[in-house]
Amino acid sequence: MPAAYPLPENISPAVVSNTASLLRIIALGLISAAAIASRLFAVVNFESIIHEFDPWFNYRATRVLASQGFYAFWNWFDPTAWYPLGRVVGGTIYPGLMATSGVIYNILHAVNLPVDIRNVCVLLAPGFSALTAWATYMFTRELKDDSAGLLAAAFIGIVPGYISRSVAGSYDNEAIAIFLLMFTFFCWIKALKQGSAFFGAVAAVFYFYMVAAWGGYVFITNMIPLHALVLLLMGRYSSRLYVAYSTWYSIGTLASMQVPFVGFQPVRTSEHMAALGVFGLLQIVAFAQLVRSHISSKQFQELLLASVVATGILGFSAIVALTYKGWIAPWTGRFYSLWDTGYAKKYIPIIASVSEHQPTAWPSFFMDLHFLIFLFPAGVVLCFRSLRDEHIFVIIYAVMASYFAGVMVRLMLALTPVVCVASAVALSSLLDAYLDASKPDATEPDESSTQATSTNGSNGASRSASSTASSPTVNPKKARKNKEKEPPAVPGRALGELVSEVASSAAAAVHGSDEPNSKGIFGLDTRLAVLVNTIGMLLFFVVHCTWVTSNAYSSPSVVLASQMQDGSQHIIDDFREAYYWLRQNTAEDAVVMSWWDYGYQIAGMADRPTLVDNNTWNNTHIATVGKAMSSPEEVAYPILRKHDVSYVLIIFGGLIGYSGDDLNKFLWMVRIAQGVWPDEIQEPNYFNKGEYRVDAQASPTMRESLMYKMSYYRFAELFGGQQPVDRVRGQNMPMNGPKLDYVGKWDVSHESRSCLILLMITEEAFTSENWIVRIYAVKGDDILGRDHKTAQGFSEGKKRKRSKPVSRRKNIGIGSV
Amino acid sequence: MLRRWRTLSLLLLSSLLPSFSLAGPAFENTAIVRTIELGGSLVHVSTTYAVKALEPGQTVYHVTFGKHEKEKTSWIEAKVKGQVKPLEITDLGERDVRDVHVFAVSLPRKLAINGTINLVLETIQTHATYPYPSYAAQADPQLLKYDTDLFVLSPYTTLVQRTKIKSSSSDIPSYSTPEGIDEFVGDASVTKSGATITYGPYHNVASSTNAEFLFKHQQPISAHYNHGHPVLEVMKLQRSVEISHWGSNLNIEDRFNLRNAGPLLRGHFSRLDYQSQNYFGRMAGHILSGLTLHLPAGLTNAYFYDLNGNVSTSHLRQTPSVPRGSKAIQHSILEMRPRYPLLGGWNYSFTLGFDTPLQDSVSWDAVNQRHIVGVPVMTHIPGSVVDEAEVKIILPEGATDIDVVTPFPALSSAILTHVSYLDTTGRPAVSLSYKDLTDKHTAMIYVSYKVPLSAHLKKPVAVGAAFMSLFMIGLVARRVDLRLHKA
Repeated sequence: MPAAYPLPENISPAVVSNTASLLRIIALGLISAAAIASRLFAVVNFESIIHEFDPWFNYRATRVLASQGFYAFWNWFDPTAWYPLGRVVGGTIYPGLMATSGVIYNILHAVNLPVDIRNVCVLLAPGFSALTAWATYMFTRELKDDSAGLLAAAFIGIVPGYISRSVAGSYDNEAIAIFLLMFTFFCWIKALKQGSAFFGAVAAVFYFYMVAAWGGYVFITNMIPLHALVLLLMGRYSSRLYVAYSTWYSIGTLASMQVPFVGFQPVRTSEHMAALGVFGLLQIVAFAQLVRSHISSKQFQELLLASVVATGILGFSAIVALTYKGWIAPWTGRFYSLWDTGYAKKYIPIIASVSEHQPTAWPSFFMDLHFLIFLFPAGVVLCFRSLRDEHIFVIIYAVMASYFAGVMVRLMLALTPVVCVASAVALSSLLDAYLDASKPDATEPDESSTQATSTNGSNGASRSASSTASSPTVNPKKARKNKEKEPPAVPGRALGELVSEVASSAAAAVHGSDEPNSKGIFGLDTRLAVLVNTIGMLLFFVVHCTWVTSNAYSSPSVVLASQMQDGSQHIIDDFREAYYWLRQNTAEDAVVMSWWDYGYQIAGMADRPTLVDNNTWNNTHIATVGKAMSSPEEVAYPILRKHDVSYVLIIFGGLIGYSGDDLNKFLWMVRIAQGVWPDEIQEPNYFNKGEYRVDAQASPTMRESLMYKMSYYRFAELFGGQQPVDRVRGQNMPMNGPKLDYVGKWDVSHESRSCLILLMITEEAFTSENWIVRIYAVKGDDILGRDHKTAQGFSEGKKRKRSKPVSRRKNIGIGSV
Repeated sequence: MLRRWRTLSLLLLSSLLPSFSLAGPAFENTAIVRTIELGGSLVHVSTTYAVKALEPGQTVYHVTFGKHEKEKTSWIEAKVKGQVKPLEITDLGERDVRDVHVFAVSLPRKLAINGTINLVLETIQTHATYPYPSYAAQADPQLLKYDTDLFVLSPYTTLVQRTKIKSSSSDIPSYSTPEGIDEFVGDASVTKSGATITYGPYHNVASSTNAEFLFKHQQPISAHYNHGHPVLEVMKLQRSVEISHWGSNLNIEDRFNLRNAGPLLRGHFSRLDYQSQNYFGRMAGHILSGLTLHLPAGLTNAYFYDLNGNVSTSHLRQTPSVPRGSKAIQHSILEMRPRYPLLGGWNYSFTLGFDTPLQDSVSWDAVNQRHIVGVPVMTHIPGSVVDEAEVKIILPEGATDIDVVTPFPALSSAILTHVSYLDTTGRPAVSLSYKDLTDKHTAMIYVSYKVPLSAHLKKPVAVGAAFMSLFMIGLVARRVDLRLHKA
């Protein structure tokens, strides 16, 4: 068969395979390096710091694990969280992440590398992304070949959809979970292909690790049974499937029940029933197969029909009955919100209030996946071409994950691996076709291609027509001669050639055909046109990934960066300033109330007890905080006192325009509080004619709420007589009026609708440099037993003895009008 | 009158304290002038003794402190007036009279009869002032109170004695007036002019180191003054100095637990008021908003962080290394700002570290084949006292024959083992602990040690062995086939 471009043919197969193996290792090493390096933007641009909210808890738990050992961590009861309830940490977390860091930390210390536990935590996600790339390579290799595997590894290494959850410092469960997901799937495929109990057990072990690491393990719990079920329905039952599934399920389920947080869920909740059902079904089918091998086919048909239908109905009704009896828990709210995107908003505002639980916006598919998003369907279609068991798995995975990714932003993460795999299959097929040196046997000789070949060099002509590209075995004598004659191949080109050669030889081996092929690519120009375009796309992909990573996903969100006028970076560090103040200058048992978003950060950075935190398991407690924030001071005060609150912490972005502040989240607090106290808190009361206003037009309920008062306390004074502006909401705040007759009440009679916000129950304790974090100390009881309004009125009156009669007269005046 | 007193006291002394009586009449103080410069955490006291010898051949002069004064004093130095070289001081302890602590100063030369010498005794007192009132609001001035004893105690007769208290501002709300000392007083027992309060002159004060004088005449005096700078206290300082010959680097890392020991904040902190105070330049004196530290020249990789990570509010002005032996004193200057302004009673803990080139502080003693490293005891925060300090000097792995020379005795010292990166057996570390350090305590600690070549080679050998074993494992793993069924 003629070749489109010259290939070195004097190389022994051992050299080729060794070189290919070395190149693979180098390529994987470089991919790992790229994956790690691109995740370090956060460290380079900012510092080695734990990001966002949940990671702060994980970090804190890991510190306990590293300093006090595993058993102390396992039995850790944290009295500072969910004050006064506390939290049994060991039983309410997925400990896989912390255990991983703890093991790494201890190993490093054992070999005298005293790395700080923070750095272990910060760099865990990038490190595991390299492992993910490797696992994806292994997985994709099972689907197609090594070159597709390398492409998939490269894609997943830098794709923003995965980087968004695994930059350095993003110390969350997802950091290790994606690796575990891919590796479990790889083991499952391997077990299924070989019918291997060993790989089934490995899959079960990694499944256990996944269960210990991330709540998303339910995805595996349902994907593998679904795959098995589809295979069954397609009539692809085999003993391989039986061995693989039974091994995985029995070991995996027993292992997963060892995680305290999971416990008996695998046999008692609906999310896990599919796996159990498929396990039962497989036993029935296996039994049926056994019976079939022993009795005649006609009897068997009848028997099969009856028994399958009977057991199916029996099993299903048993599950339904158990569900009604309460033995099996029904679907949870989070699960329903996967099917009905409006569900959470209606019934569980706390789930809907989390931004990562929102449905995905279309642009974010492109932002997170770039050109993979349109290669992805092509890859899935290519899976249909050679529809082996593993291809079916990828197809199911693609369909399911696409749906889920559309429902919840957060689940984009589950889609990303399969997009990378499918795209790699597509792209690699394309490259195979266009890099394949073998030229199709044209019935009529093509002018241009022969020209191209002959211009390429003499060795193309010297090649004997009978030698095929697929069999590189050459006469050794000739090979030696050629080697002397020819300079070695250009290294840059060697990679592509070798890969394609290995690939095509592998393909030939699979198909076992060396008959002339009538399909293929003619000519170098066609090849070049396609290849240049592909390389261009890949380059744009790299540029896009780098850009997205550095700009969108590398901000720690604990530290904010802004550009100064001269272009230099200015760090806004208000969060850490305020948290550190709390940590250093308040009593160690001072309870801090804040919205739940900041619970973990306060626990991690300020080391103080909090009322609520990001582990949103107790809706009522959160609603209590919401109620305190959205109620007038008289109502809020008993709530604060009952919960021993010493400090109230709020986030206020109005001065510098930080949009993620508490007033912008305020409606969620109202909604969540309304869910529990519909009589006391009503969302419409916080609007003025349907508009969310904070200025002079704000509704009275809004103005009276504790959150509003604390946000704008003395805010207007900062402008020193100028028009105060809330820069987040773009509204002009009322000027300060001279009226002091009432505490915390707006003087509506005044023409400029001026106001003076006075707090009765709390005192400003600390405000950070840019006013982002404001901390208020809750006043104790008045020593004379008066309520705070009277007490403050009295002390104000004492100070302004002369003005008091005036104000009284004024009040009387208003009363008479 | 005077003579009678003197004889009486002599009698008393000789009867009670035979050893003291020998030193007793040897000198006469023609004048004692004590100048107290009030500060926040540190109070600088310098006392000038104009001494006249009454007996020939005297070489030891005794200076004495009262109980409280001794407790407060953390640094003491005696000099002949106008000279640089300090005189040798021996602590004799409470020798004869209760609550009177004696130091012996060795005079540079023997004095003849009626020979005179002027001695200057400088001391630094720590924790000598306290906020009064103990609470102050954000905009209030910072009022401090300082208590001391009226008379400078001396075993010798003093012809004229005077105490000047200099405040940092002329705002002195009150000071005490001594009573019952008419026998010494000329015109006024105390006068105030500007920022200085002067007690005395008091004439013909007899030997005062006896119980009777203490009981009869000694009395506390106090000054209440406005201090315009924050009173800083480093509750704990942990310095760790790591020497690396392979990296040619000396890393110094200090952990400070800083506290504003001024009056506690009354009410709460208002950022608005702070910003307007700042804007109009009317910052109350007790608020610490920033610090300027002098760090060694030639430093690199400076870092300033606390438990929550890097603190981005600092500026470093680096100065290149100064050649050894050059007279020019140069510093890199670090202008650092804590995360939040420190108001009265607030704490702030932070870590400050930097690298310096090793050749700036280590030299090679070719005669004894030893390395000698000089490390300052601490980086001083201006106007602060360090309550507790722990200095740990980590020598290279395998260093032997360790010899430590400290500028002033440590409370305790130990040699520990510190294990760090790429260590196999750990590094020897010299640990010294101190208390009540002041700006006078920034002297150098010298450590000399030997490092054999084999110790230097430990690291590369260990790393090489680790990688070698890794490759060996890989080599074996790739070649061993454990499959039961060969494909």
